[in-house]
Amino acid sequence: MKNKLTLLAFSLLVLASPMMAQGTTGDPSDNNRRAAAYIAMGIASGLCGLGQGRATASAAEAMARNPGAVAAIRVALILGLVLIESLALYTLVITFIAK
Amino acid sequence: MEKELWMTAQFNHYLAGPANAVLNAVQTPAQNPASPWTDWMVCELLVVLFMVLFFALVRMRLSVDKPGKTQHVMELIYEFFHASAEEVVGHDGPKYLTFFGTLFLFILFMNLIGLIPGLESPTMYTMVPLGLAVVTFVFYHATGMRAHGFGYVKQFLGPFWWLAWLMLPIELISHAARPLSLTVRLFANMFAGEQVYLTFLVLTKVILPVVFIGLHLFVGVLQAYIFMLLAMVYVGGAVSHEH
Repeated sequence: MKNKLTLLAFSLLVLASPMMAQGTTGDPSDNNRRAAAYIAMGIASGLCGLGQGRATASAAEAMARNPGAVAAIRVALILGLVLIESLALYTLVITFIAK
Repeated sequence: MEKELWMTAQFNHYLAGPANAVLNAVQTPAQNPASPWTDWMVCELLVVLFMVLFFALVRMRLSVDKPGKTQHVMELIYEFFHASAEEVVGHDGPKYLTFFGTLFLFILFMNLIGLIPGLESPTMYTMVPLGLAVVTFVFYHATGMRAHGFGYVKQFLGPFWWLAWLMLPIELISHAARPLSLTVRLFANMFAGEQVYLTFLVLTKVILPVVFIGLHLFVGVLQAYIFMLLAMVYVGGAVSHEH
């Protein structure tokens, strides 16, 4: 199974190599900036997704264990989700303003 | 010259003179003196006008004996604010309810006005959330100073006096990051929502953009609530009496 995955990953990378043959109309630093922006946004969104998943999971479990505290847990959940979300948004803003 | 909304064009047509006078009075002349009104300024003024008229109307029709439907809805909203303020800020939370309520409703209406074709959300431009964040920053420090006097500074020094040299820079940086995060959160949510909607409008013309409009609506309401909640948390932190 692991060998098949490695073969798949390697073949995907090899198949993507024609991308290098593209002529670039912009200067290379512009393309580098864009590539870095894509990777940065991907990492930021992935990690924030993980964080929000953990927050939601523990909030749901707490609400199931203690139905009386649902209102307070809901407030804490929303606050936590928005604060984690804002971290991904900082990355998005940086991708727009980075030179 | 970029395209401006019909409403902005009307404002520029009739009211360019007073706008230029005001801008020149504060030493920031407009970039294009023929059109000093910007889209977001016009929409912000429209929101303010709508809110003033709406609440004046509600206020005139308030009655104890025969409350109408609008009064019931307004009372529900007020109860929600009151409960939130008391829970988050502490016992004297409701003293500052005017500020929190205005903040929430202002941001809510500014976010929602972008959904009307022909108008756009002022919160999509960086300056508007920055203004709101600066006002919130000044407000919570002012309330903290009013509650504690000059002992307000003791909050920045941490629990023990021998940690003050470490706590002060950390506290200053974290307090300075608050208006930044408030601004970026509101601006980026609204801006990204609009961009995503435009992207999908170009890609798939009919059904999928509606989903994104729904998401933008939900995010607008949520971001307004979060701004108010964070303002309450900051005021609560500033006003809190440890003893």
